Amino acid sequence: MASRKEGTGSSATSSSSTTGTAGKGKGKGGPGDSAVKQVQIDGLVVLKIIKHYQEEGQVTEVVQGVLLGLVVEDWLEITNCFPFPQHTEDDADFDEAQYQMEMMRSLRHVNIDHLHVGWYQSTYYGSFVTQALLDSQFSYQHAIEESAILIYDPIKTAQGSLSLKANRLTPKLMEVCKEKDFSPEALKKANITFEYMFEEVPIVIKNSHLINVLMWELEKKSAVADKHELLSLSSSNHLGKNLQLLMDRVDEMSPDIVKYNTYMRNTSKQQQQKHQYQQRRQQENTQRQSREGPLLPEEDLSKLFKPPQPPARMDSLLIAGQINTYCQNIKEFTAQNLGKLFMAQALQEYNN
Amino acid sequence: MSRFFTTGSDSESESSLSREELVTKPVGGNYSKQPLLLSEDEEDTKRVVRSAKDKRFEELTNLIRTIRNATKIRDVTKCLEEFELLGKAYGKAKSIVDKEGVPRFYIRILADLEDHLNELWEDKEGKKMNKNDAKALSTLRQKIRKYNSDFESHITSDKQNPEQSADEDAEKNEEDSEGSSDEDEDEDGVSAATFLKKKSDAPSGESHKFLKKMDDEDEDSEDSEDDEDWDTGSTSSDSDSEEEEGKQTALASRFLKKAPTTDKDKKAAEQKREDKAKKKHDRKSKRLDEEEQENEGGEWERVQGGMPLVKEKQKMFAKGTEITHAVVIKKLNEILQAQGKKGTDRAAQIQLLQLLVQIAAENNLGEGVIIKIKFNIIASLYDYNPNLATYMKPEMWGKCLDCINELMDILFANPNIFVGENILEESENLHNADQPLRVRGCILTLVERKDEEFTKIMQNTDPHSQEYVEHLKDEAQVCAIIERVQCYLEEKGTTEEVCRIYLLRILHTYYKFDYKAHQRQLTPPEGSSKSEQDQAENEGEDSAVLMERLCKYIYAKDRTDRIRTCAILCHIYHHALHSRWYQPRDLMLMSHLQDNIQHADLPVQILYNRMMVQLGICAFRQGLTKDAHNALLDIQSSGRAKELLGQGLLLRSLQERNQEQEKVERCRQVPFHLHINLELLECVYLVSAMLLEIPYMAAHESDARRRMISKQFHHQLRVGERQPLLGPPESMREHVVAASKAMKMGNWKTCHSFIINEEMNEKVWDLFPETDKVRTMLVRNIQEESLSTYLFTYSSVYDSISMEMLSDMFELDLPTVHSIISKMIINEELMPTAQQNLALQLAEKLGSLVENNERVFDHKQGTYGGYFQDQKDGYRKNEGYMRRGGYRQQQSQTAY
Repeated sequence: MASRKEGTGSSATSSSSTTGTAGKGKGKGGPGDSAVKQVQIDGLVVLKIIKHYQEEGQVTEVVQGVLLGLVVEDWLEITNCFPFPQHTEDDADFDEAQYQMEMMRSLRHVNIDHLHVGWYQSTYYGSFVTQALLDSQFSYQHAIEESAILIYDPIKTAQGSLSLKANRLTPKLMEVCKEKDFSPEALKKANITFEYMFEEVPIVIKNSHLINVLMWELEKKSAVADKHELLSLSSSNHLGKNLQLLMDRVDEMSPDIVKYNTYMRNTSKQQQQKHQYQQRRQQENTQRQSREGPLLPEEDLSKLFKPPQPPARMDSLLIAGQINTYCQNIKEFTAQNLGKLFMAQALQEYNN
Repeated sequence: MSRFFTTGSDSESESSLSREELVTKPVGGNYSKQPLLLSEDEEDTKRVVRSAKDKRFEELTNLIRTIRNATKIRDVTKCLEEFELLGKAYGKAKSIVDKEGVPRFYIRILADLEDHLNELWEDKEGKKMNKNDAKALSTLRQKIRKYNSDFESHITSDKQNPEQSADEDAEKNEEDSEGSSDEDEDEDGVSAATFLKKKSDAPSGESHKFLKKMDDEDEDSEDSEDDEDWDTGSTSSDSDSEEEEGKQTALASRFLKKAPTTDKDKKAAEQKREDKAKKKHDRKSKRLDEEEQENEGGEWERVQGGMPLVKEKQKMFAKGTEITHAVVIKKLNEILQAQGKKGTDRAAQIQLLQLLVQIAAENNLGEGVIIKIKFNIIASLYDYNPNLATYMKPEMWGKCLDCINELMDILFANPNIFVGENILEESENLHNADQPLRVRGCILTLVERKDEEFTKIMQNTDPHSQEYVEHLKDEAQVCAIIERVQCYLEEKGTTEEVCRIYLLRILHTYYKFDYKAHQRQLTPPEGSSKSEQDQAENEGEDSAVLMERLCKYIYAKDRTDRIRTCAILCHIYHHALHSRWYQPRDLMLMSHLQDNIQHADLPVQILYNRMMVQLGICAFRQGLTKDAHNALLDIQSSGRAKELLGQGLLLRSLQERNQEQEKVERCRQVPFHLHINLELLECVYLVSAMLLEIPYMAAHESDARRRMISKQFHHQLRVGERQPLLGPPESMREHVVAASKAMKMGNWKTCHSFIINEEMNEKVWDLFPETDKVRTMLVRNIQEESLSTYLFTYSSVYDSISMEMLSDMFELDLPTVHSIISKMIINEELMPTAQQNLALQLAEKLGSLVENNERVFDHKQGTYGGYFQDQKDGYRKNEGYMRRGGYRQQQSQTAY
């Protein structure tokens, strides 16, 4: 892990560059006028997050913490962080807010940036697009406009490439969340799809020059063998897990679609009934008119035909988003692995 | 019985005359011979003279007697009824009672009744009482308490000196005591010996009983004209009623005198017989209540008909009587009429009948008569036990078998005798030698009944006792008889009868393994080193051939569905038992038994289950694991194999059924020697499940939608897993579980050692007729299935593996290994990696997802109306077509 970190200046870009560029592109396409164009993370923060997961995180459980820093022009600098304690059953009355406030106050006493700029969370095989995350990020972003969430993938990191991503909700999604209307119509109007839920902000890991110097020195001393993880050819486990998770999501997706389908059918059926009813009514009215009788009184059609409850689309949106991230993961992973395999093939041919 | 009837109909309105007669007639019985010619007129006038007191008291005593009867048989409901009547009658007699004082016997019955009720009350919990009785008991108890409070003083005094009252009773109410003693006889069928004893106990009052007894004897000899006896008896009794006290001794002496003079009686009876018709006619014109009288008389006769025969058996006929057909038949009818009545001593009856046969034989009355009597003997042997559940005693059974054999002897010896159940009683020809003899009776029914009895005996004998073996030895005899009857019926019987007897034969054949035929199959024909004797033994028809012949006949000729179904089932069973698989399977499939067996009655269903199980075991022996599993699945999966095969009741459901049901179920049980070994059955099932399930599990390790082949097997596995400490296997199940675990790892040698070892041999495998063959088959199956399991489990580990190595590992020859692997490849069961597997599943899921999604899309289009319906369909088809191609790949990548 340590060996990974030393490359902050040059090779950290390589790890996050792939995502970074993609994110940047999207970022431009999406908000454009967003206040924060880039996130600069202190090496310390990265190490602290990693350490937090290493010490407290279990395989499927996530760890969370608060990011501290400050906003400089259109840069968000994250200079420090502190973890949330793990929840347990027996301290249900634990006050998180209180803890945060106290923590920040204490940090201020030791002259550390105490501006709350976001939070971080670990993830299990990239599964983070959930309702809970959406809710808390929304409340963060609602309170602190610049705040972002750092997603840390420990498994990918263990494979040799640090995976850390800064995400934030798109302004569109913010609008929708503010309205709290997740009906199909509202989402359609907001023109929101799973692709435009989150926007990724490019990150830069910054270290002090002294550290950089130390890194250089260490790199020279360290043996090459340390970098083996990166070249590991074993892929089945990771890929299998990803596939399985993807499958689970697909399974979740199916009933959602079916539900939506029935809703659509019900609506159209009702529409038809309504239409028929209106026609009948009109016919009678015309008849009456010809007989010069009194017209039928106007009736409240919406009372007669109560529209079916539209299903909330947010869930499927989230699932779709999640599926998207899985797919990205798999794509990335397979691309890398293919490269490795070709490399290995070439090597073998060369040896022979 | 008749008495109940009498009193039952005895309402207040009934004339006292009839009752009076009823009561008094025993007393006068002894005079029955002398005053035979007594005029009827006299009788009538006598009756008129009776005092009101007597009349009332007799009414009471009558009621009391019925109550006593009812208490004896614990009929509380009856008791209650009669008690109410008694109360009323007492009210009527009030005026007399006021004059005379409360009669002793009345007090007595009240006291006794109360005692009896209290006793019953306390006993209530102990003994089962039906609801009505229990209700009546509580009502009656309350009533009698209230009622008795009025007679408190009388009762206590009565209790204090019961003897005195008894004497008085004897004196004053002879009828009463007599009546009750009558009941004794009737109900309990007291034998002569006990009767004598009784007499010595109570000499004073009981002499009457003897008189009564004598009467009975007379009646028996006369039988049909009893009623006259009674009538005349009653007349004389009336005349005697005043001199009762003096009579007692005289009566006793008369009895003594009389006993040895039965012969004389007989003659008298003969005489009387002639007078009978005329007399009856006379009386009819005179008597008002004639009808009733006769009825009563008739019933009386029936009650006592059977009883005294015991005493009389030595002298069936009067010495001088010429024994003719008519006489013997008459006698036979007499005996038969007594049949089925309460109080008839069945054993005595049988003896009597046998005696009759002897007499008939001695007098050369011809075979017809003998056959007729024999039929009846057998029938009464069957009827010996009134209860369906109880079974014949061994001696009875032996007698029965002998009798049938003798009967068959006669029938075979005399081919000119026609026997049939459709021959009417009237058209019987028992002695006319010119025409063929015709006897009513069905030999087939007898044999069927005998078979049922045999089953019952076997069901009721402890299967682990020597007794059972003894009984089982009779089976040969039973079969022999069936065979004889079969021969007989083949000649004379109708097709239906032949079908029935064939079925019986089949039922006695199908479950037996034909060792001789088996031996013959094993040893080639030219190897005839066997002794002549062996050869001779082998001459007998192979049971397979026999079954074939019998069953085919039934298939062709039978018109009742049931016999055919049974025959098919037995046929299949027999085939399966002899390790023939394809014939029974085809039979099974062709007969469509599975479709409609649930409409059959329960015994047939049990037979079906047995057949299914046997078929499954047969398939297993042939190495057809899958077929075996399928056949056994239904029986085993319910966990009630024992019950389904009729081999025992489950304790679990014992509470759910009442005794009645249990009795019925017990009757359905299959006798022990027909049982299928349940452990063997389970073992076969589990092993075949193992051979199927383990490779399947290995193949579908990562399949989310994996299904269990056998729930029971999984259950066993789980039980094994739950064990905290796993010792070496002991039971059969543990062996199979341990073997399964070894097989999971592809370790066929361990698996083999768990399935086939000393213990398992002893428990299971040695039970098969061809043990070694089964074992080799099993080993091979284990090897093959282990190989595929191994490949499924570890294929991802190997890049390639040589067939030679596999062949070494599993000790199978190369072609076999090759064929197994080829099969797996063809079935696409061998997946290189889990990923591929997963990817395929994912693709499937995505396919359905896309389809659903498209439906949403379709819907949007559909809202424009049905106008484009046709076009849209075409479009969809196109879409579907495309989707099957590369389109899907794209979908999986971008998740739509």
